[in-house]
Amino acid sequence: MQDRPSGFGNPWLQLALSVLCVLVSELLLKRGANDIANPSSAWSWTGINGLASPLVWLGIAFVIASFLSWLYVLKYIPLTIAFPLSRVVDILVPLGCWIVLRESISTLRWCGIALVVIGLALVAKPIAQIEERL
Amino acid sequence: MNFLAFFFIVASLLSFVVAQLVLKRAMQLSVTSGLRNLRFISLVGGGIALMTISFFLTLGLLQRFPLSYLYPFQGLSVIIISLMAAVMLKEKLTLQLTIGALLISAGIVLVSLS
Repeated sequence: MQDRPSGFGNPWLQLALSVLCVLVSELLLKRGANDIANPSSAWSWTGINGLASPLVWLGIAFVIASFLSWLYVLKYIPLTIAFPLSRVVDILVPLGCWIVLRESISTLRWCGIALVVIGLALVAKPIAQIEERL
Repeated sequence: MNFLAFFFIVASLLSFVVAQLVLKRAMQLSVTSGLRNLRFISLVGGGIALMTISFFLTLGLLQRFPLSYLYPFQGLSVIIISLMAAVMLKEKLTLQLTIGALLISAGIVLVSLS
């Protein structure tokens, strides 16, 4: 691993930005896909008809933004660490619904969230050691 | 789940996993040999093409299934990518990282099942 830039170029900050963009894009794409859903058409298996929705286009903009910061992250952080960490987004969605929309979360889902958090902690622990050495 | 749905779920997962490995390889290459060489450009181009395929296949699946049904498969990508990065890119995969990736995968499956 090489020396990492600080400030806006900090790869950990970029990883967080990438995750945030993925979060926003997932919500936009699901809304967009719902709007134009047409399961009777064979073409819709390719998803190409999704381009008819403006929400999908906005979602694509966020996908591209997350992709650019992700490429930057890949330059500095091993995939075995960066990718598992990027999946924090999978618990941010239900947690966001719980906090912002006051939706309830089932016990099973809380167990899943707990597993992901423990897993993230295990993956993140070696990072703290790497950063100390730098 | 019919055969067609299974095929498209596997195809979108596979193209996503391979794309991540190809992109990581490209960025590794960029550190040593810069951005202006044919191998880097073709790797990034290939990675973007695979991401695009995976993106549209997922969009097609989202029109047919709820997000919660498709999410467990995304969860699997964590453990698959960690293993493949260790095998193909020779990244160091410690026991701790493996257990962490497994727990994240299992957690994502649980979150989407409920």
